[in-house]
Amino acid sequence: MISVNPDLISNEQDKLDLNNLSDEQKALDIKNLNLYYGEKQALQNISMAIPKGQVTAFIGPSGCGKSTLLRCINRMNDLVDICRIDGEINLHGENIYNKHVDVAMLRRKVGMVFQRPNPFPKTIYENVVYGLRIMGENNRRVLDEACERSLRSAALWNEVKDRLHDSALGLSGGQQQRLVIARAIAIQPEVLLLDEPTSALDPISTLTIEELINDLKKQFTVVIVTHNMQQAARVSDQTAFMYMGDLIEYSDTNTLFTTPSKKKTEDYITGRYG
Amino acid sequence: MATLSKSTDFRQLKNKLAQYLITLGGVSVLFTLILIFMYLLYVIKPVFESAHIESVSSVTLSNQSPAVVTGLDELKEVAYEITEQGQVNFYQLSTSAFREQGSLIDNQRVIQDDAAISLVAHGNNHQVVVVDSQNQVKVVTAKFTAKYLPEGRDIAPRVDYPLGEEAIIVDEEEQALTKLAFAMDDERALFVGFTEDGRLIKTTLVAEDDFSYDWEYEAVYQTIDAQLTQVDDVAITPDLGMAVVRSGNDITIYELDDEYSVPQKAQFTPFSNEAELTSVALLSGGSSILFGSSHGVVSQWFEVAGENGRAFQEIRRFKVSDQEPVSKIHTEQFRKSFYTFTPKGEMGVFYTTSAADLWRGQLIDNMPSVFAIAPRADGIMMVSEGQAKLFSVSNEHPEVTWSALWQEVWYEGYPEPDYIWQSTSGSDDFEAKFSLVPISFGTMKAALYAMLFAVPVALAAAIYTAYFMPPVLRKKVKPTIELMEALPTVILGFLAGLWLAPIIEDYLPAVALLLLFLPLSTFFAAYAWYRLPRKWKGRLPEAWAPIMLLPIIILAALAAFGLSPLVEEFYFGGDMRQYITNDLGIDFDQRNALVVGIAMGFAVIPTIFSMAEDAIFSVPKHLTSGSLALGATQWQTLVKVVLLTASPGIFSAVMMGLGRAVGETMIVLMATGNTPVVDWSIFQGMRTLSANIAVEMPESEVGSSHYRILFLAAFVLFIFTFIFNTVAEFVRQRLREKYSSL
Repeated sequence: MISVNPDLISNEQDKLDLNNLSDEQKALDIKNLNLYYGEKQALQNISMAIPKGQVTAFIGPSGCGKSTLLRCINRMNDLVDICRIDGEINLHGENIYNKHVDVAMLRRKVGMVFQRPNPFPKTIYENVVYGLRIMGENNRRVLDEACERSLRSAALWNEVKDRLHDSALGLSGGQQQRLVIARAIAIQPEVLLLDEPTSALDPISTLTIEELINDLKKQFTVVIVTHNMQQAARVSDQTAFMYMGDLIEYSDTNTLFTTPSKKKTEDYITGRYG
Repeated sequence: MATLSKSTDFRQLKNKLAQYLITLGGVSVLFTLILIFMYLLYVIKPVFESAHIESVSSVTLSNQSPAVVTGLDELKEVAYEITEQGQVNFYQLSTSAFREQGSLIDNQRVIQDDAAISLVAHGNNHQVVVVDSQNQVKVVTAKFTAKYLPEGRDIAPRVDYPLGEEAIIVDEEEQALTKLAFAMDDERALFVGFTEDGRLIKTTLVAEDDFSYDWEYEAVYQTIDAQLTQVDDVAITPDLGMAVVRSGNDITIYELDDEYSVPQKAQFTPFSNEAELTSVALLSGGSSILFGSSHGVVSQWFEVAGENGRAFQEIRRFKVSDQEPVSKIHTEQFRKSFYTFTPKGEMGVFYTTSAADLWRGQLIDNMPSVFAIAPRADGIMMVSEGQAKLFSVSNEHPEVTWSALWQEVWYEGYPEPDYIWQSTSGSDDFEAKFSLVPISFGTMKAALYAMLFAVPVALAAAIYTAYFMPPVLRKKVKPTIELMEALPTVILGFLAGLWLAPIIEDYLPAVALLLLFLPLSTFFAAYAWYRLPRKWKGRLPEAWAPIMLLPIIILAALAAFGLSPLVEEFYFGGDMRQYITNDLGIDFDQRNALVVGIAMGFAVIPTIFSMAEDAIFSVPKHLTSGSLALGATQWQTLVKVVLLTASPGIFSAVMMGLGRAVGETMIVLMATGNTPVVDWSIFQGMRTLSANIAVEMPESEVGSSHYRILFLAAFVLFIFTFIFNTVAEFVRQRLREKYSSL
């Protein structure tokens, strides 16, 4: 049985109508997105709006395209040579696939955390301020401040404040993942993409990260891809279920897990496949 | 069950066998390495040993009259003495099949029966000049002929007269001589003597034909205008060029080459007022003069070219004794060793070039009355109290000391101390110059210029291939460059020496232009490609786009070579090489560091490229994604994350390349010109340790100092490559540990 975050149930009356969000409520607006790897189509005509200041989860069986969709949002798929995309993803009403968009600028606004913790082989401090440094920020005070703020936001400050100048590779997996989150939020993105952020972690670290996600949504729009349906139920406000490159169902988490409207969704959440 | 257990046994056996074989393989590799190391050390060790002197035997001399001269044969089997009464006695030194040790072999008189020897002088090739009380002068040599009989070897001694048995008239006025010096070659025999009536005379016997066939000669008598009242020592250099005359504390040097006059060449007081001059000797070869002083110092002087021409100058000093004067200096015939004696008979053995203090001590109780060095310098004879004592001297490598190998040494005839490698020459009395500095320097210089060329090219190529190149192309390019490593370096070497070196010499401006044209053309090509309309780009498969650069690079190279004569015409007066040599005053060798840098650069590029490319390519993709996702550009990601993470691999790639460049032989052998000069100039050649070994080992006498120093050079090379490879491996291991959690 899937447990649902009680906060969500109590907030039921604030439930958003995902199909009719106002422009202010939308963080991202995905329209008719198709993605092809060579000849193979990986995403089929996806349209969805992701609300601001909330946690949206993508779930689905392996290979359903949920990570691919996530990576479209900050154009990480550009790195794959054979990948071709049509359709739109709008951020502030501007299509991020527009010719004039600077990908580096886009990625500053849309941060991303990956499946495996990937701290750079530098000190904890340098990891956190990396994004600021590449933007040309070298003022020590600004960096120090951003470092502390980000580490506090990522609930890591108390654990590492005495060893900021030690190698980040000495941290545990869970700490590394929180460091990576701190690194991503240090540059103050609007949207934070989390690609299965806990799949390589132990249950206790997972719990810490999940609590962290709850805090993060106060400042950022969070989009999370997860394999773990309980996790989606625990942390997200909205859930999108994808299957074979199609967006099958997208609604608030409570509804999706308790009264799914599609047969495939129900089969999946009850464990018939996936 | 039985079959099952049998097969298990067999598997166990195979497993055990494999385990032992692998262990054996590993251990024997280590063992071989250690063995090479030990063998090198074993060959090198003797050069750093000091001299050993041991008593071998002694002979009781016939008690007729005291000996004035002694000597021995090359094999130290027969000794001779010349007694004051003019008797030459030969003694057996070691027992042979024919005679007992100590027995008298033969005797012979060399002067008239009623005369006695009043003066002796030594020639430049074991001749002895005897002057008897009737002023009869004869030149005698002890000759030894070996006969090989069934019972063994028999040495037959006899007395030989190189200038005939007839007495020679040295002084035209037939006055008694108080001092005499003698030297001869095939054409002339030369006497310089001081007569009782105070004349310094020079007498030349000019051979009618050649002294090695017959002794017909014509005597030329000259008187040297000297105004000396006293002469204590006279010596003639072996090339018959100079006479050194000591009068009290003063030295006068005369030139002997002139047929009509005997001009004074130099006059000086070696120890000024600080001490008295007590002895003089000419060092082997006759370029250096050794002076002994009353306060126990031997000073070496030779002519040094200065502003006012060549002048005698003090070069170095040896402290022989604390208080005792140096009463006698004996020099070896072929090496720069000398033996010193104090009046009490304390002996010292020294070597000038290496400033080596080889041996000191007292072999017999008092000062020997007569002393001789064996012809091969492996023994000494001392006569004292009617006994002739033979000592063996093991002093194989006096010219090698740690300081002579690594510090500046003032060699004979050089204007100042310098690092010189010159191991052999045509003459026997040549002063070998074994400084390892020029060749170690050459090794470093060649490696450095090679790295200067190879590192930027190889690393840029590695970065491009690993990070930017389309995978399809990478799959082809990487193995191709790695294949270059299999190219025999001898081919690169002769191409560099015979093809590239003349081209570079002829088209020197083109080389400079290429430095400018290649990056510029690449840059413009890239920019043009960037601005090219998409439909044009689409015609070429994207993977092959980099190939587009090739024709442009070729065009740029052609342009550089095409412009070369024009540039030369306009800026360098038609010939850049002439301009460099004449106007800039920089020496230009055709085979120079530039050629070596390029050729050896080519040899090390694959090594560096391959390892660096692997290191960059194996930087985890999630790190680059992480950086890109933070809004970094490709370039920022490359510089701040990829190169940082790959740095251990890149470092060890460069070190491996350096190790290879240091050990490389064929290219440097063929393209450096092998000139052992210490000069950083890019237009000068060099000689490396490896090429030096390759060049000189075949002509080196086994067991000689030269041979052992070549082994030392090999050892130094071994250490060099060992250090580079160890540092590379150490850093790689350390950093790999550091980044192992990635």
